[in-house]
Amino acid sequence: MRLLRNGDFVSGAVLAALGAFIIMEARQWEYLGPDGPGPGFFPLWYGIGLLVLSIMLMVVHARQAPAPASRGMGGTGRAFATWAALVVCVALLKVLGFIVAFSLLTLFIVQVLYRQPFGKALAVAVGGAAGFYLLFDVALNVALPAGMLGF
Amino acid sequence: MKFRPMCLLMAAAVAVLGAGPAAAQFKPTKPIEFMTHTGPGGGGDVFARGIAAAMEKEGLMPVRMQVVNKTGGGGATAMAYLVNEKKGDTHTIAVFTGLWFTNPIMRKEAKYTMKDLTPVVRLVLEPAMIAVKNDAPYKSLNEFIDAAKQSPGQLKQSAGSLGSRDWVVRQLLMTNTGASWAYISFPGGGERIAALLGGHVNMMVIEPQEAGEHIRAGNMRVIATVSEKRLPAFPDVPTIQEAGFNVPNVPQVRGIVAPPGIPPEAVAYWEDLFARFIKTASWQKYLSDNMFQDGYMRSAELIKFGDQFSETTREILKAGGVKVAR
Amino acid sequence: MESFGYLMQGFAVALTPYNLLWCFIGVFLGTVIGILPGLGPAATIAMLLPLTFQMNPTSAVIMLAGIYYGSKYGGSTTSILLNVPGESASVVTCFDGYQMARQGRAGAALGVSAIASFIAGTFGVVGLMLVAPPLAKFALSFSSPEYFALMCLGLAMVVLLAGKSMIKALLAMMVGLWIAGMGTDLFSEASRFTFGHAELLDGVDFVVVAIGVFALGEVLGNMEIREGARMLPVPKGLRNLLPTLQDLKDCRFAFLNGSVVGFIIGVLPGAGSTIASFISYGIEKAVSRRPEKFGTGVPEGVAAPEGANNAETGGAMVPLLTLGIPGSGTTAILLAAFILWGLRPGPLMIQDNPTLFWGLVASMYVGNVMLLVLNLPLVPLFAQILRLPAYTLYPFIFGISIVGVYSVSGSLFDTWMLALFGLLGYAMRRLEYPSAPLILGFVLGDIMERALRQSLMMSQGDLTILVARPMSATMLFLAVLILLAPLFRKADALRVKAIAEGS
Repeated sequence: MRLLRNGDFVSGAVLAALGAFIIMEARQWEYLGPDGPGPGFFPLWYGIGLLVLSIMLMVVHARQAPAPASRGMGGTGRAFATWAALVVCVALLKVLGFIVAFSLLTLFIVQVLYRQPFGKALAVAVGGAAGFYLLFDVALNVALPAGMLGF
Repeated sequence: MKFRPMCLLMAAAVAVLGAGPAAAQFKPTKPIEFMTHTGPGGGGDVFARGIAAAMEKEGLMPVRMQVVNKTGGGGATAMAYLVNEKKGDTHTIAVFTGLWFTNPIMRKEAKYTMKDLTPVVRLVLEPAMIAVKNDAPYKSLNEFIDAAKQSPGQLKQSAGSLGSRDWVVRQLLMTNTGASWAYISFPGGGERIAALLGGHVNMMVIEPQEAGEHIRAGNMRVIATVSEKRLPAFPDVPTIQEAGFNVPNVPQVRGIVAPPGIPPEAVAYWEDLFARFIKTASWQKYLSDNMFQDGYMRSAELIKFGDQFSETTREILKAGGVKVAR
Repeated sequence: MESFGYLMQGFAVALTPYNLLWCFIGVFLGTVIGILPGLGPAATIAMLLPLTFQMNPTSAVIMLAGIYYGSKYGGSTTSILLNVPGESASVVTCFDGYQMARQGRAGAALGVSAIASFIAGTFGVVGLMLVAPPLAKFALSFSSPEYFALMCLGLAMVVLLAGKSMIKALLAMMVGLWIAGMGTDLFSEASRFTFGHAELLDGVDFVVVAIGVFALGEVLGNMEIREGARMLPVPKGLRNLLPTLQDLKDCRFAFLNGSVVGFIIGVLPGAGSTIASFISYGIEKAVSRRPEKFGTGVPEGVAAPEGANNAETGGAMVPLLTLGIPGSGTTAILLAAFILWGLRPGPLMIQDNPTLFWGLVASMYVGNVMLLVLNLPLVPLFAQILRLPAYTLYPFIFGISIVGVYSVSGSLFDTWMLALFGLLGYAMRRLEYPSAPLILGFVLGDIMERALRQSLMMSQGDLTILVARPMSATMLFLAVLILLAPLFRKADALRVKAIAEGS
């Protein structure tokens, strides 16, 4: 159980799995062809490198006591909540377009994560979206992602 | 009351369908989205922006043409976008290149082919030259092929990717003559020329405009033309066929394609517009500056051409040992 | 001195009010789009290209070149202030620039960056003017084995970029190599690691990786603490917003290093400014008397890559103007522009159009001065952005990241990738993996694989081609030396310890 709380051990395991995956994929492609190295040549080598180094990391660091968690899980929770909001925003780009999706993301960050009053949050969200629209769409003629409603 | 909108819709549909000649007059009413699969500055992008600017200058369009870049997948992203997001949209057109035919043949990730779109017109044929360095011992294509035969695999060609025109030319010449030489891929045209001028490779397929300048400077020599007929700028350089090699000509094409499901009136509108466009001075200048050839073809012909082009390419790819996806 | 006369003529061309105006428009636009992430000089030049058909080619090229080198000036701004690399080449500027900003020295970092850009940019023009033809020959002698060796030299820099754990740095670098390998293999058309997505056939865009890992990773990390709502310190008073004399003294070598490295690498058609800035940063750290301070906010860590990045422009103009060979996306468009204007780019262009060439060279001197004058007063202004409270600043970074990524490809798929790389950046930060090696691997991986395979195709599988050529052998030797340096240092430390214990 303690190993699972050890970031180095877990990330090492994930990277080892990635290394193994790369090696397996690379083996499907030609390693050395008649004209020279094939598409499998390079991936095989960095795949092996990943696997070996990540196992080294697991062995070396798993032996050491895990570093005491400097930041609480609450912080991680906040970061993940932000990330989830970003994902929702990206998902909404297709439906609602950038202006609306970005306003919602801003609203969420300012009001929920930073506990600012709703009025202030709304002002930041609307102001920010308007700023982006004016700068990119109007001034620079760079299209922002548009939603189904056409903006 | 619920069925009312439905009735209205049907009435509207009947009106549209029954309108006959009146509907044959399609005219764009809002800015045209003009798509290209290359990023800003890529071949297709410069082509599209050149057309958009010339259209504006010649005053042929009632609306603006807005160039939109949908990059990715060697054209696959742009093609998928036309099918999935723009079906039936009469205000979207795109630049196609030969890649739009060959890419779906080679890659299973590319889900749509040119058959899923509405080809509108073919505009340009791009000829090419086979070039060697000025101090190379070969004065003709025959001499190069002989040298390649004498030391199989020793000579090198700097080129683009597999399946590109450089590759097709090499493939056809190798199967026709039994000679063989190495094919070294470089991502950018600049690097290909640098490799030839630096003496690191022996031969390349180059655009005539570029070749002209290097010949003038005495860096390069061209030994054959890759085109149906000789180029005005290079009257002394024979085509591959004239040089005595019986290989088919695989042209490099560019043209305009529209999303699937657009009405025939819209196709007709674009056909006529481009028929007028290619006669303009701006376009003629564009062709001669780049040493391109006029390749205008209307939609029906273009569809036939496309089928044939895809078939030939598929056979050449297969013969060259490339895995074909469809 | 024949070229002096030409240069004077060039200045006569560049200093006409009409051309001065276009030069200013170019460098101003360049600065603006350099500041905005995503939208790069290549895209801007392509968009403006049709407008230039009506202009005379000299004015047009003066303006478009102004966009090109102007964007290099602006690129560092968001790197320093927000950890959002404005251009691919300014990712290295994030390493120390952003750290300086966090310590309230954003103004100093921006100032150093502007000055380094000016010095190196000017150096690049001098180089272009004086040694273009012989350097073009040098560039042509550079072939795939040399590129491979150069990339090895670049990858060896990982030793210098590693933080606490060398294993983690190497792992991050290999993940970077993996991401670089995604997409269609140029040589065989095999699609690698595309997971069935057509969008990945062309690989992952640099902007997506760099903005995701650096900018979003940083913001997500900062979001952990609500107290982060307190702003970064921004000192009051103009004097505190500009670099001190000591800063500039510290950068003396960096200015030179950046200029020379950037210019030389710029001349090579197959390398690019990102590589130039990495290598220049590596050299700076390798010869520094305080290498341990790099990455914590030293001005020379900003000056070297920024300089390299700007000197590269002058270098990249060398093969473009003397041979008609474009070395990068931006120069490729300039080449297309030359054709559209009816100029014939190629080895004889300078000879055919001396006014154009010397007018351009002179305008680049003028443009660099304009940029310095334009950018230095902007420094205090831009530094104010950090006064924004975190709850305004962070959504702003999210927005500019999304727009930046979308403006490159026009594809929503890339915004998903951005979110994914943001998560990766955050995870790396949490688990203490350095992100610089990942970017390094990503930038170099593709070119390195290509160069290796080209070399072996040229030699028909004979590996000695890599060491038989003097230039590649030298660079490979240097790479090995850098890789082994930490071991030597360790051995040395042990020896000193042993001696100390023995006595």
